[in-house]
Amino acid sequence: MKVSRRPGVLAALGALVFAAASSAAPAPAPAPFTVPVEYTKLPNGLKVVFSRDTTAPTAVVAVYYNIGFRIEPKDRTGFAHLFEHMMFQGSENLGKMEFIKLVQSNGGILNGSTRFDFTNYFEVVPAHALETALWAEADRMRGLAINADNLKNQQEVVKNEVRVNVLNQPYGGFPWLDLPQYANANWYNSHNFYGDLKDLDAATLKDVESFFKTFYAPNNAVLVVVGDFDAAQTMDWVKKYFGPIPSANLPPKPDITEAKQDKEKRATKADPIATRPALAVGYHAPPRNTPEYFAMGILDQILVQGKDSRLYQALVQKNGLTGDVNGGINSGLGDMYNINGPTLWDVSLFYDKDKTPDQILAVMDVEIEKVRTTPVDQATLDRALVKMRSDFYDKIEQTGGFGRADLLASFALFDDDPARINQLEEQFRQVTPAMLQKTAQEYLRPENRTILLIDPKGEAKAPKSGS
Amino acid sequence: MKKKLALFSLALALAPSVRADKQAPPPPAAPKGFSVPQPKTFTLENGLGVTLVPYGTVPKVTVRLAVLTGNANEAANQVWIADIVGDMLTEGTATRTASQIAEDAAKMGGSVDVTVGENRTDIGGDVLSEFGPNLVALVADVARNPKFPESDFARVKADRLRQLSIARSQPQPLAQEKFRAVLYGDHPYGRLFPTEAALQGYTIAQVRDFYDKNYGAGRSHLYVAGRFDAAAMEAAIRKGFSDWKRGAAPQIPPSNPKSARAVYILDRPGAVQSTILMGMPVIDPSKPDWDALFLMNVLLGGSFASRITSNIREAKGYTYSPNGQLSNRYHDAYWAEAADVTTNVTGPAVKEIFGEVDRLQADPPSDKELKGFQNYRAGVFILQNSSRGGIIGQLEFVDLHGLPADYLNGYVKRLYAITPAQVQQMARKYIQDDKATIVVVGDKKVIEEQLKPFGPLK
Repeated sequence: MKVSRRPGVLAALGALVFAAASSAAPAPAPAPFTVPVEYTKLPNGLKVVFSRDTTAPTAVVAVYYNIGFRIEPKDRTGFAHLFEHMMFQGSENLGKMEFIKLVQSNGGILNGSTRFDFTNYFEVVPAHALETALWAEADRMRGLAINADNLKNQQEVVKNEVRVNVLNQPYGGFPWLDLPQYANANWYNSHNFYGDLKDLDAATLKDVESFFKTFYAPNNAVLVVVGDFDAAQTMDWVKKYFGPIPSANLPPKPDITEAKQDKEKRATKADPIATRPALAVGYHAPPRNTPEYFAMGILDQILVQGKDSRLYQALVQKNGLTGDVNGGINSGLGDMYNINGPTLWDVSLFYDKDKTPDQILAVMDVEIEKVRTTPVDQATLDRALVKMRSDFYDKIEQTGGFGRADLLASFALFDDDPARINQLEEQFRQVTPAMLQKTAQEYLRPENRTILLIDPKGEAKAPKSGS
Repeated sequence: MKKKLALFSLALALAPSVRADKQAPPPPAAPKGFSVPQPKTFTLENGLGVTLVPYGTVPKVTVRLAVLTGNANEAANQVWIADIVGDMLTEGTATRTASQIAEDAAKMGGSVDVTVGENRTDIGGDVLSEFGPNLVALVADVARNPKFPESDFARVKADRLRQLSIARSQPQPLAQEKFRAVLYGDHPYGRLFPTEAALQGYTIAQVRDFYDKNYGAGRSHLYVAGRFDAAAMEAAIRKGFSDWKRGAAPQIPPSNPKSARAVYILDRPGAVQSTILMGMPVIDPSKPDWDALFLMNVLLGGSFASRITSNIREAKGYTYSPNGQLSNRYHDAYWAEAADVTTNVTGPAVKEIFGEVDRLQADPPSDKELKGFQNYRAGVFILQNSSRGGIIGQLEFVDLHGLPADYLNGYVKRLYAITPAQVQQMARKYIQDDKATIVVVGDKKVIEEQLKPFGPLK
């Protein structure tokens, strides 16, 4: 049973040796671990990243487009995601269902997803089917061939996706879909990005065509290949299949900045199905890639990641207010690396009706104030760094190497520098107790947060069976 | 959306038919060799099985103690007691508080997690390689020396009561609860949830009693996978577990699931979707037909490109994430199709699902279609055996069901030997639609008429 979304695996540190703050016998130094990164750009602007790993005879092909739901058209909420579905509906040489069948009948798995700042498509295939997968991704980058039936079909599928994940569930959309809508003020960051069902119904083939032409160009994308492959051979295929695709003139980027929040916000959402109250708190996170951002990553480990974290210990272990505490930076739809624009650090939990939100917040605030007023001790900082390094290894192995592709694609797309994957550890290692405190003082201010409460209106009774 | 990631479970497929004016995909090269990572296995004198699998390049190691106990060992008036025992294991040992367990594991880059299933309880974690032996010691402490502090018991029960309440507000668990009750009746597999009153009445003495009766080396197996120093690991295992009591042999009460064609509607007024769960008991993984039945499910409903998904999602748009499943336990399994469909197409969705079953029973798949699914299964098999957790999961499956030692090594060869006629035969022999139990959680006043044609309403 799962009612809340676990945060995605938090990532961090590349290699090097940490003096692990273990009370046990000193451990042998871990071997350095570096992710190989080869980075090139085709003349049409397509970014290409290779990272070999021959552990298993498999390969990941991931294509990330620099278009997320944040900047979808204002009268078409949910369109970026609906469009993602259209990318599986047919291209020049592959008809309806043929892309899916081609990948699967060659032994591969595939998927796509839409996030704040990108839309991604990926396959994990047996190594010998790499060329086939590259060809197929290039085919749909070249152009779509879909009809009104395809669009109608996926409008129904996406509406059913919204129903099964949001409308027909208790706590549907809590907190991942809800919290950004309450916490942010700029439309680009605060609209319902799953989409109003009316907006989804209003989408036309013309919208699909226009969105594709505007955003789905090689100069707005990155291709990542991870796994067991020959680099020279693979580059030949990439040039052959992706090289001829023309680049496009990209529109100017809208202003997605979020004004500084100067007053605590509190909102209550009535949930007609839920039976227990829930609470989420979101703080605007520091700007990406600043020293404060890395400090926030460490604070996240200290405060909310794992059962040793301070909020878990305070809220669960000592005070019994809840059974688990979830959260993180961009925890709802990713992690602290695969986001480019403004994001939140959040904490969420479920509790019982005999407690008030202020009781929960009071316990939470003791721990938040502690990091704002007292420097974190070295042992706690060391433990956070070990957790981050361990999480980083999990991330790069996730889903047959797709996790590694996700980091490389994000850093290529947002920073033009996928080799950043090997610099993360150093950036976390530079975080000092003083920087942690300064970051907490500035970003964990009550005025910088939004509190979202779920008011449960459902009855705690099972439905009756019988005819 | 990220939720979509849950969709690719298993799949099928077939090379697309290519029109003359279209470019054909480049064909795949010759497959590279793949062999399942080779484990080293031994048994301690007290009966504890040990399997070590060196694997991978990143410096991490997974340690998992599998104890053959779980919900199958619960008495009728103690549903979820196995889960609560699992919760209480990490609430403290003779020498560590709960906070110390959490901190010690975190210092290694991980945590100690307890997962309670119907037949098996897994206790373990995943840490940086250099701490592997320390994690073995910590897992041994948690599994062997629980303190079961009375002071934390009320809190743990309150957490379970909250989970129970939330589960009962979700349509999928309610469908599952009813489906299980119909198939299994009084067997533990038929009791998905306790009542709130029963849960509130559980005592710490019952927790201790369940632990004493169901935990011990003789029914446990320790798995280690990843990068580790084999000698240091083996020494830590012997030190941590050699003097653990053998305990009682595992007891899994035999199940005798039954199903007769009927429709069970659980009313959820105003629901915008109907949650469908329909299926029947089938043979379990120890039987010779299992691999062919599994492949049949991948083709029928258990993958993105499967026939049922192609139909009710990609052709009709009734649903987002339909899923055919072969849910299995020791000497027990059932097949089911699960789908959350728009309320007004509840009846049509059930009709299409049965239609696909009928179609497969009537005609074997083409060689080409089946070959696509075989390739897909072979690819997924490689992925399943290419991660620490995946490798241990495969070995646990083999060990639980008592499968032959070459089960994994011989899998791909057996997979490709399955014929279209066999797949058709599996559908005829096991997916007996005249015995299907159909559970639907939805808006009764809207769906009742739609469901009448599919069996007596109960």
